[in-house]
Amino acid sequence: MSLLLEGVQTTIILSLLTMVLGTIIGLFVAIVRLRVRKAFAIPLVIYVEVFRGTPGLIQIVWIYYCLPIMTGLQLDAITSVVIAMALNVGSYLSEVFRAGIQAVNKGHIEAATALGFHPGQITRRVVVPQAAYRMIPAIGNVFVSAIKLSSLCSVLGMAELMYQGQIIIANFFRPIEVFTVVAIIYLMMAYTTSLFMIYLEWKFAWVKREKNSFWQKFKNISSSAFSLKPQGDI
Amino acid sequence: MSSENNIIPAVQITDLKKSFGSLEVLKSINLTVSPGEVICVLGTSGSGKSTLLRCINQLTVQDSGDIFIHGHPIGFVQDAKGKLKKAGQAALARQRSHIGYVFQNFNLWPHRTALGNVADALMVVKKMTKNKAYEIALERLTEVGLADWQNDYPDTLSGGQQQRVAIARMLAMEPDIMLFDEPTSALDPERVGEVIDVMRALAAKGYTMIIATHELNFARDTADRVIFIDEGIIAEEAPAKEFFAVPKTERLKAFLKRMSG
Repeated sequence: MSLLLEGVQTTIILSLLTMVLGTIIGLFVAIVRLRVRKAFAIPLVIYVEVFRGTPGLIQIVWIYYCLPIMTGLQLDAITSVVIAMALNVGSYLSEVFRAGIQAVNKGHIEAATALGFHPGQITRRVVVPQAAYRMIPAIGNVFVSAIKLSSLCSVLGMAELMYQGQIIIANFFRPIEVFTVVAIIYLMMAYTTSLFMIYLEWKFAWVKREKNSFWQKFKNISSSAFSLKPQGDI
Repeated sequence: MSSENNIIPAVQITDLKKSFGSLEVLKSINLTVSPGEVICVLGTSGSGKSTLLRCINQLTVQDSGDIFIHGHPIGFVQDAKGKLKKAGQAALARQRSHIGYVFQNFNLWPHRTALGNVADALMVVKKMTKNKAYEIALERLTEVGLADWQNDYPDTLSGGQQQRVAIARMLAMEPDIMLFDEPTSALDPERVGEVIDVMRALAAKGYTMIIATHELNFARDTADRVIFIDEGIIAEEAPAKEFFAVPKTERLKAFLKRMSG
């Protein structure tokens, strides 16, 4: 059991690192792509398409095994894993951020411009509050994927949850039980992330229609999952 | 006109040109607006009314021509030697803060309450404290009859109410001139009146206003002067009564006939 706990710890650390670095990369890529001329953004477009369009497993293995052969730069397992996952998550997040920023009504920006806001003030007071709220569900998707993506790091012998599970199976020959437990632990971590995202959504919502509590919002979202009725008031 | 009286005009536009691609929207606009004057701009859709207003506060930058606001060329600043150079973003933002602009689609920020929409610019642009900004914002909302809706979000307000909040937001900045870009065109017919009433009250207070509109009755009894833009130039220009009573050009006659149904 302690083997699994160690694995959980490693998985959490890997996932959190990936989320933080991926967010930084994603924000950078999205903002640069929106600011510079199309021609200058081409390298970033290539980056996004390559990392979205190739399997995460190959990216992890490639950075660990192929990069040293091509460049002579040998990274240890954890560094290469974190770089690969952050680049992977960053490529998805950059598209989420770009879409969120672009979805802000141009008229709202013009209104602020006409009132005498500087571009920086427009970003802080008009664009970010609107974009952040609308992007939260999509960011949640990417974060949950990041947790599951970390299971691929077992191929490099990282002692994360998946790898520890496989070790236990090799010792006790109980694949069904162990894989089930591992799956449940992943589910719990993913669901915790989802809850956190629902909380953020509630926190950032500008119209607090369910003023009574966060649990009301939570209940509404949960019930909508089991109901085909349109949930107009969420 | 104004130069004879030695008054600096509120707005002076000379030979303004603007094209979008091959479409020449403004061919040559010359217009002088005295302080306190209310001008209504008429013209068919796509005639360039909005483009003219947008050029005045540089939301759209003209291809050529000059626009002076109270004698200062907008979009330019004077350096130490008195030479004109293109205004940076900060200088342009400062110039814009003296020009009020009301949009056809209101453009209220959905994440702020009515009160927040009015108070934000005071805090951000005029650097007022929150208390002071909210105090002034509430005064302005009261002025447009919306004090009871101060804590409502824009998407819960009617179109007419939203436009009145937008007018309050502009008023709070105490602009030198006010531009209205078809402020009633996106409203239900029964909501037009409440916005028109607010604009009438502003005109009576002596603000300098330039209003692009399709409301002929409003133009007739509120404007000091009415201009008709057609094919990129000011085709006709006259005091309001004369403008409607004795239109000179055939185009205007046809336009007025069509508009009054």
